[in-house]
Amino acid sequence: MMRVQIWEALVWAGLLSLPLVATACGDRGGGVASLRPLVPAQVGGWQAADHGELYDQESIFSYIDGHAEVYLAYGMKGCLARRYTGPSGEADIALDVFEMGSPADAYGVASYDRDGESVDIGRDGRFRYGWLSYWKGPFFVSVTAESESAAAREAVLELGRSVAALITDNGAPPPLIGALPLSGLDVNSVRYLHSQQILDTHLWLGEGEVLGLAPDTPAALVRYLRDGRSAHLLLVDYPDGARAEQAAAAIAGRLFAGPPGGGPTLGQDGRWHGVDQRGARLVVVIGAANEELAAALLSEVGAPQGGG
Amino acid sequence: MFRRSMVITRREFVRSGSGLAAVGLLGAGRRDAEGQEPPARSRVVLIRRTDALGEDGAPDGKVLHAMLNEAVAALFETSEPAAAWKRLFGPGDVVGIKSNVWRNLPTPPALEEAIRAEVIGAGVAPGDVAVDDRGVLENPVFKRATAFINTRPMRTHHWSGLGTCLKNMIMFVPRPADYHGDACASLGAIWRLPEIEGKVRLNVLVMLTPQFHGVGPHSFSPAFVWPYKGLLVGTDPVAVDATGARIIEAKRREHFGEERPISPPPHHIQIADTRYGLGVSDPQRIDIVRLGFMESAL
Repeated sequence: MMRVQIWEALVWAGLLSLPLVATACGDRGGGVASLRPLVPAQVGGWQAADHGELYDQESIFSYIDGHAEVYLAYGMKGCLARRYTGPSGEADIALDVFEMGSPADAYGVASYDRDGESVDIGRDGRFRYGWLSYWKGPFFVSVTAESESAAAREAVLELGRSVAALITDNGAPPPLIGALPLSGLDVNSVRYLHSQQILDTHLWLGEGEVLGLAPDTPAALVRYLRDGRSAHLLLVDYPDGARAEQAAAAIAGRLFAGPPGGGPTLGQDGRWHGVDQRGARLVVVIGAANEELAAALLSEVGAPQGGG
Repeated sequence: MFRRSMVITRREFVRSGSGLAAVGLLGAGRRDAEGQEPPARSRVVLIRRTDALGEDGAPDGKVLHAMLNEAVAALFETSEPAAAWKRLFGPGDVVGIKSNVWRNLPTPPALEEAIRAEVIGAGVAPGDVAVDDRGVLENPVFKRATAFINTRPMRTHHWSGLGTCLKNMIMFVPRPADYHGDACASLGAIWRLPEIEGKVRLNVLVMLTPQFHGVGPHSFSPAFVWPYKGLLVGTDPVAVDATGARIIEAKRREHFGEERPISPPPHHIQIADTRYGLGVSDPQRIDIVRLGFMESAL
């Protein structure tokens, strides 16, 4: 199955590179600020209109109006923003390089929006509607042409490649991603997160933060499709079993008003839900089309490495 | 007095015998404490003019002002805009004009000025009118406001699916992020806060260059706005937003050539109707008064 093959390649490429990853320092250890003098001043017919502005966790709100919370939810440390003025008749290009809390966070923020065609730039490079995005090391890179044209597309891709070449740390996907069952996994639905606000934008599980998501609780949300039947799988790794147990009881109460660990349960919405615990890992199946799918997904997830 | 009735309760409005036929004019926040059912129908005015935007794409202030007045007059079924404005506001009112300063697509300053001029023209003291967005909680005029006008451009929105009139009041809470869950489903609760409930007398959804899709960290690309050259005006924010949402959905179908639902779903509009009783979201119960050119009105 093509979907699985692609996914396997992605996961294994990431996991195999894990031992090679140096500290999450970006280029030469200086973070996003050290990229500023290295970012190209010209790309195609586009000329840099400034030297690049740096934003921190406070000032980012003045730059990204209404959306900064997404980056902060992934531990954003800083952002380098540079504008490029195009030749006559062409719109500007905006380069935004976000230094995230870790390569896992960079992966996570890239997973927030997986639309678009796949391009071989950075990691998980995507291009849609004049917008290129990818992650590499602890960086999430966005290059946006404010109006689409063939020339703008080429300039966007060229600028993206140039910035990717400046980032020496490849980074690796979060280990939790490797715990996802592969059969029927919809690659474009894989979200990595550790905040309730981000989870809520992808899947609403009701009011309140019953899962206790925090920076120390990596989570993965994925949609599965097997034999035409769908389900969501949510994995959360807690620092200890006690927190996982607490979260399991809370989310089971939310989904089917019962205790966790009893196998799939038919909810009032006519879908099957299940909550289980593998050591410090919470396993939640949400909205499975039938009991078999819910049971299979629950059974296919193991405990975290190290016992959790 | 009709003006006062609109602020207080629907029952008092009915008692006032103003003779205004359109019950639908009673919109947001007008279901009173006695549990009155929401109005059966709402009226929304869609006005479009081919000359609303100049050659540079910027709004033409004079045209915009005329559009506003024509729409408000039509909303109140009068030929005299001044009379319509005087039904909304009068001496003694303190009016906050809740605008929107989002850098990529702000409320046009010319529209803010037009609204302000008409409010003053209705008898409100100039010192009792203010325009604000991010600073409404500290703005002295907003703090003592007896009435609000709510105006913003329609656009796709990262948290709520659509940036709507309903969404525009989120700056009245100290922690807007508290309302981001479930695609901002609970935005209607803000309209039930004591400092807001019953005070929003007019909603102007700017459809001059609406944004029908968003990309990138800034959720904006000029490729996804188009010169619709319109305004949607009504007293019921739910009906105004629901009408605007249908236009955005139609534009997305036209542009993408397929069904591309707004994401996240802007269900806060329907929930504002069904859960919070703020107005009418069912298109079958919205009477749209169409003024101006209607080519490609969607």
